[in-house]
Amino acid sequence: MQDITDIEMEARRKRARRTALIAGGFAVAVFLLSIVQMLKV
Amino acid sequence: MAHAATHDHHDHHGAPKGFFQRWVMSTNHKDIGTLYLIFSLTMFFIGGAFAMVIRAELFKPGMQLVQPYFFNEMTTMHALVMIFGAIMPSFVGLANWMIPLMVGAPDMALPRMNNLSFWIMPFAFILLLSTLFMPGGGPAGGWTMYPPLSLQGESIAYTIFAVHLMGISSIMGAINIIATILNMRAPGMDLLKMPVFVWSWLITAFLLIAVMPVLAGAVTMLLTDKYFHTNFFNAAGGGDPVLFQHIFWFFGHPEVYIMILPAFGIISEIIPTFARKPIFGYRAMVFAIASIAFLSFIVWAHHMFAVGLPMGAEIFFMYATMLIAVPTGVKVFNWVSTMWGGSMTFETPMLFSIAFVILFTIGGFSGLMLALAPADFQYHDTYFVVAHFHYVLVTGAAFSIMAAAYYWIPKWSGNMYSETWGKIHFWSSVISVNVLFFPQHFLGLAGMPRRIPDYNVAFANFNMISSIGGFWFGASQLIFLGVVIHCVFFSKKKAADRSWEGAKGLEWTVPSPAPFHTFDVPPVIHDDELAHGNTEH
Repeated sequence: MQDITDIEMEARRKRARRTALIAGGFAVAVFLLSIVQMLKV
Repeated sequence: MAHAATHDHHDHHGAPKGFFQRWVMSTNHKDIGTLYLIFSLTMFFIGGAFAMVIRAELFKPGMQLVQPYFFNEMTTMHALVMIFGAIMPSFVGLANWMIPLMVGAPDMALPRMNNLSFWIMPFAFILLLSTLFMPGGGPAGGWTMYPPLSLQGESIAYTIFAVHLMGISSIMGAINIIATILNMRAPGMDLLKMPVFVWSWLITAFLLIAVMPVLAGAVTMLLTDKYFHTNFFNAAGGGDPVLFQHIFWFFGHPEVYIMILPAFGIISEIIPTFARKPIFGYRAMVFAIASIAFLSFIVWAHHMFAVGLPMGAEIFFMYATMLIAVPTGVKVFNWVSTMWGGSMTFETPMLFSIAFVILFTIGGFSGLMLALAPADFQYHDTYFVVAHFHYVLVTGAAFSIMAAAYYWIPKWSGNMYSETWGKIHFWSSVISVNVLFFPQHFLGLAGMPRRIPDYNVAFANFNMISSIGGFWFGASQLIFLGVVIHCVFFSKKKAADRSWEGAKGLEWTVPSPAPFHTFDVPPVIHDDELAHGNTEH
């Protein structure tokens, strides 16, 4: 049985939150860029 | 997988007792998956009702039942509801239910965000559908929302806000799927041992976070043009309406693949099960999905050949589009090669999958015809386009969802569906869908434009045949509803844990119905028992 300890599971969840933040930040950046690049300023 | 860890005892005390706590406050991937599937089925019937109005009006030439503006509202709403309300949420529902089970994870990585992703959707669609009852009516400029046409209605602000909400929901769902697949897999479940369905969703999720914000940006600029006097797309103010088309289709073409890549994953699970052979060319299948996803970013202007692109651009987008046939062909040949020499049986999921391979390929070929820039000047905005994308999205995406429902419903409900009624549903659907959409190729080639409530009498016969097929196909889906309700609530035939003889993969090692909590202790992975785990051979 390849057991995962609670500590390891918590570390995984932490990594998952970091992944989500990176992905979410990327999405927000794409949204802003799609508008900003259209501005003639 | 001798010791797939499941906590059966949780089945009895894991789920909250109250309706509100269980369903509204749910953070359980299976319950949220169920909510998504129920929601998408509801939207499928609402969008289908709009389609029935369209086909009833087109049954005969001349104005029959509805006013032209209402007809345009129906074509617009049918598309928005089917794309954002039916197809996409049903794939997210399948992802919620199956990805944690397939990779040996106890739940999605971010369960509370999962709840929020779902519960945004009903409000988005109530908002969108409510525009039909507003003074001036709902959006009627087509789902593409091209300005200046789309800016003429007053309900555009509500439509745009609804699109924003759908986009936020989709992006949060995609983030959750990426975080789950990258971080929550059981030890030993390497990336290249994951089921193709999981791979297809990982790639789809990347597409979603890359292009949904572009749609959000485009509609935000529409909103500011309408209400804040900006001129992004207003030619009179120095803007460019064609710019909107570029931005929209930079989102829109990957969106098409968002609606078909998970279908590829589903079919790649079902065909090996009923052919009793591992998928042919597992790695090629994964790389083909990734290739299609990459190419989807560089083909958007094939939707706009007729706006007057420079010759070099037309040639580039034509050839780039035709390139997509290569990885798609790899997939089709691999599905056929998986079946070749297999010990095949033809249960309902397999019938839908075989129909998918044949009919999706027809849609693919008409897509290749549309990719030819010189020919597209003839086909553009005709019923040929309507026939093409309905072959891809109905006999492609929708058929794969039905195949998935029949395939996994024993795992979801613990009961077997009626195979007889499943097959009746299949044959009725597969015949009627061709009666519905095949004549539309001829209508388009003869020059019938899309999105019109009236037409030349020369098109009368094919339209009548198409409408008969439409009513027949719509009625056939009531059989599907009946089969699902019977299976979940009334079926006496209990499903085995491994519901299909040839089924492999972690999801079939847990009891049927799947307990409320699964894989609290990660399963032991044995390569030979994974659907596609033994990829070295």
